[in-house]
Amino acid sequence: MVALEKDAMLSLAEKTVKAALQKGAAEAEVFVYDGKATSVGIERGQITKSDRIIDRGIGVRVQLNKAIGFAYTNIVDNQTAVENTILNALGAARASKPDPDWKGLPERRPYPAALEKTFDKKIFDLRSEDLVDVASRLLDASTEADKRVFPIEGGAGAAYGANVIVNSNGISAFDQGTVVECSLAAIAKEGNTVTPVCFEFSAERNYKINPEWVGKEAARLAVSALKTKRIETKTYKLIFTQFALQELLYYTLINAVKADNVQRNQSAFKDKLGTKVGSDTLTIYDDGLLVGGLRTGIFDGEGSPRQKTTVMEKGVLRSFLYDNYTAKKEGKESTGNASRAGYLSTPSVETTNFHILPGDKTPYEMLSEVDDGLIVYYLQGAHSSNPVSGEFSVVATPAWRIKKGKIEHATRGVMLAGNIFELLKNVSAAADNERKMGQLVAPWLMVENVRVIGK
Amino acid sequence: MKDLLTKLTNTATGKFGAEYAEIRAQNLSKTMFTMKEGRVEAAKQGVESGVALRVLVKGAWGFASVGAMDSETLMDALSDACSMAKAASAHMKSPIKLAATKAVEDHVQIKPKRNPAEISIEEKIKTVSAINKVALTFDKRVKSCTIDYLDLTGTSFFANSDGSYIEQDKLYVWSKLAATAQQSGVFTHSRDELGSTAGYELFDTETPEALGEKLAKRAVNQLKAKPPKGGAFPVVLGPNVVGVFVHEAFGHLAEADLALSGGVLASNLGKKIASDLVTFYDDGTVNGAFGSFKYDDEGVPAKKSLLIKDGVVTGLMHNRETAQKFNAEPTGNARAEDFKVEPIIRMRNTYFAPRDCAFEELIEDVKAGYYFKSFRGGQASLDGGFQVGIQEACEIVNGELGEPVRDASISGNTLETLFKVDAVGKDFELHSGRCGKGQTAFIGDGGPHIRVNEVTVGGSA
Repeated sequence: MVALEKDAMLSLAEKTVKAALQKGAAEAEVFVYDGKATSVGIERGQITKSDRIIDRGIGVRVQLNKAIGFAYTNIVDNQTAVENTILNALGAARASKPDPDWKGLPERRPYPAALEKTFDKKIFDLRSEDLVDVASRLLDASTEADKRVFPIEGGAGAAYGANVIVNSNGISAFDQGTVVECSLAAIAKEGNTVTPVCFEFSAERNYKINPEWVGKEAARLAVSALKTKRIETKTYKLIFTQFALQELLYYTLINAVKADNVQRNQSAFKDKLGTKVGSDTLTIYDDGLLVGGLRTGIFDGEGSPRQKTTVMEKGVLRSFLYDNYTAKKEGKESTGNASRAGYLSTPSVETTNFHILPGDKTPYEMLSEVDDGLIVYYLQGAHSSNPVSGEFSVVATPAWRIKKGKIEHATRGVMLAGNIFELLKNVSAAADNERKMGQLVAPWLMVENVRVIGK
Repeated sequence: MKDLLTKLTNTATGKFGAEYAEIRAQNLSKTMFTMKEGRVEAAKQGVESGVALRVLVKGAWGFASVGAMDSETLMDALSDACSMAKAASAHMKSPIKLAATKAVEDHVQIKPKRNPAEISIEEKIKTVSAINKVALTFDKRVKSCTIDYLDLTGTSFFANSDGSYIEQDKLYVWSKLAATAQQSGVFTHSRDELGSTAGYELFDTETPEALGEKLAKRAVNQLKAKPPKGGAFPVVLGPNVVGVFVHEAFGHLAEADLALSGGVLASNLGKKIASDLVTFYDDGTVNGAFGSFKYDDEGVPAKKSLLIKDGVVTGLMHNRETAQKFNAEPTGNARAEDFKVEPIIRMRNTYFAPRDCAFEELIEDVKAGYYFKSFRGGQASLDGGFQVGIQEACEIVNGELGEPVRDASISGNTLETLFKVDAVGKDFELHSGRCGKGQTAFIGDGGPHIRVNEVTVGGSA
């Protein structure tokens, strides 16, 4: 199957909006998705598989007497299926209670100019053979690095996705994008010792990834995790890498800046706008337009323009993140943070590229400033943090001990405990090594006085 | 459907040179909604229909998924899958082989007392509203209540080149409940999850009123709780925590694909890795349980698998590929979330078998420890490290339950911890949940109350 044409997607959406209004909807919004993902998989030391998923579908959101209904189908080339979807959406709306806070679907607002580096035809055209080549370079780089390395899982993938949103308020928009990625999860084995899984990846919107680096780096981490020592329980100076930050911040800080959580008393940042909630080191944007960002796009999940929003400026909380519904509830404009997990979901508030600004220290300089501390790569259990209070208690697996500015050895059985909102106030430096990781774009952060539970 | 799928498997082996081919088709309908403080966030109804084609060519897998059922599209996808498999086989060192299984022809029909497909969305919203209302009015310190509801019904079709053809009715009802409470700067959080493959009658046994009250009570009780002391303590774990421990800390290690990936269990088959009191099952046959089904997504019948007997590892969970590697029988653990993904090894209902202690006997010998009643989340790694977050807990002081404790977690090494199980209760509960391993699977886990004589408790105090 080839990709659907832009015009075909737009006309399907426009027709469906019209039909929904004719069938009685007071407002209607149609989301059409067309995607293709090709991947090559590594399992236990060799390339074992190649997959292709072609996924398309249509999601219909209607408003009827201020009640919302939604339905979707992945059968887009059959008129009856699409009509049934409209009827299902209307049925769902009739079953729901009116929402007095509903102030309408988004209005049409100007979009940013065409974005750089979000679509690359080369990625769209990648075949299994090309990805087999990427995966085998990555695999070779990891096993050639050290005999004790065992690549467990990984591979290479190329994905294309196109979105159309049309609504009865005049929005009619198309955007398409690509992502290419390669990754490796590896362990190292020596005698009876097996390390925790060490993971590396590279992901870009244009065809510029470095499989050799991924293979080597995953191998380096795994080997350096072989010899572990326990450490004593006390407070340490910590360096959090992006992997750890991604885990730790998603369920706590990111949760706290979403407007829906604030409005529902589920955010520790309620009533904190304009106040100091972090250290001077922390300046954070939610930047939906970041060049090459993995979540960059022209418009959000309901057709509002993406934008760059200042979340925190030198530690001062500046703004929450809004979709159309939560914004209108406060008489504001959406910040372009409505997100959709494809055609089968309704929009909800989500970050785009959550960008923690880098500082000017190199990673080397940052390490050299730690006399007695830890560098933490991967965390376990961050999802069991208390999302409202920010209290966390997680396992660092592995973390490496830093002594007198040098990484000495890996640790085992180390837990970190504390409160993320206290931790933000103790961030003492940001390195200059920012990288993209899902929705996070961040450098390493140095944090003072973190409670570490060792032996 | 049988003719179409059989034609595809025949073409794969006859014309495209595949050693093995399997086709899965599905026609599923879902109803879902989220209710927050009594307000329904867009009730949803969806149709997911499509086909997954998986082939083995020269020892490598090729997989294609399309949201279509017409013969022409499927033939194209099949050809695509076969050439992709060939491309992937280019650097093959040890080609994949599959354990033999018996060809099966079956049509699995389910007979729910109350079929969610025949219940109006209005009634479903009413049920959830009732839970919501009870939770929010239970105490004025309860500030929010979020409830997710999902049901899924339909049919899946399976054919493979070994001659199997299976049609299975699918039915799942699931709900996740969450509430928060707040008082003088303290926030607490309470969660619960329920699920069934039997039918909507789930809400007759667990009434909305009881569910709402339990949820709210837990959030409110934690308001006066204190943070735990960090360190090593004896603990008594409730069935809900035991379930997530068995699933996360041990279950994943017993998934044969992870065991082969350097997990600690591959080298421990037949060895004693736990105290005599430890017996674990992964069971796909528990009637109506959330992790039950008759055939897995490779057409293998789901079994009741014994994983540990009296402390000795007796088996792993397999698909056909790993069963061949271990020279074992496939256990029916190959599951795919839907037609967009390949089947991988997943748990079903995983549980700790009960013994004979009463709850009082478990706590009476504990001088200073904790009772961890229900969990907030859990995770484990291949080297046997685990972490389980606790949402509901209290101290045990001189053999009696003491003051409530919040935001605790336990962690440690699974095998070390299993040797420290020194008493096992006679009660038993099975809980419903979802497990993420790239795909989501509906699972059950549980067990009795147990006592562990030492585990690391993480806490901020």
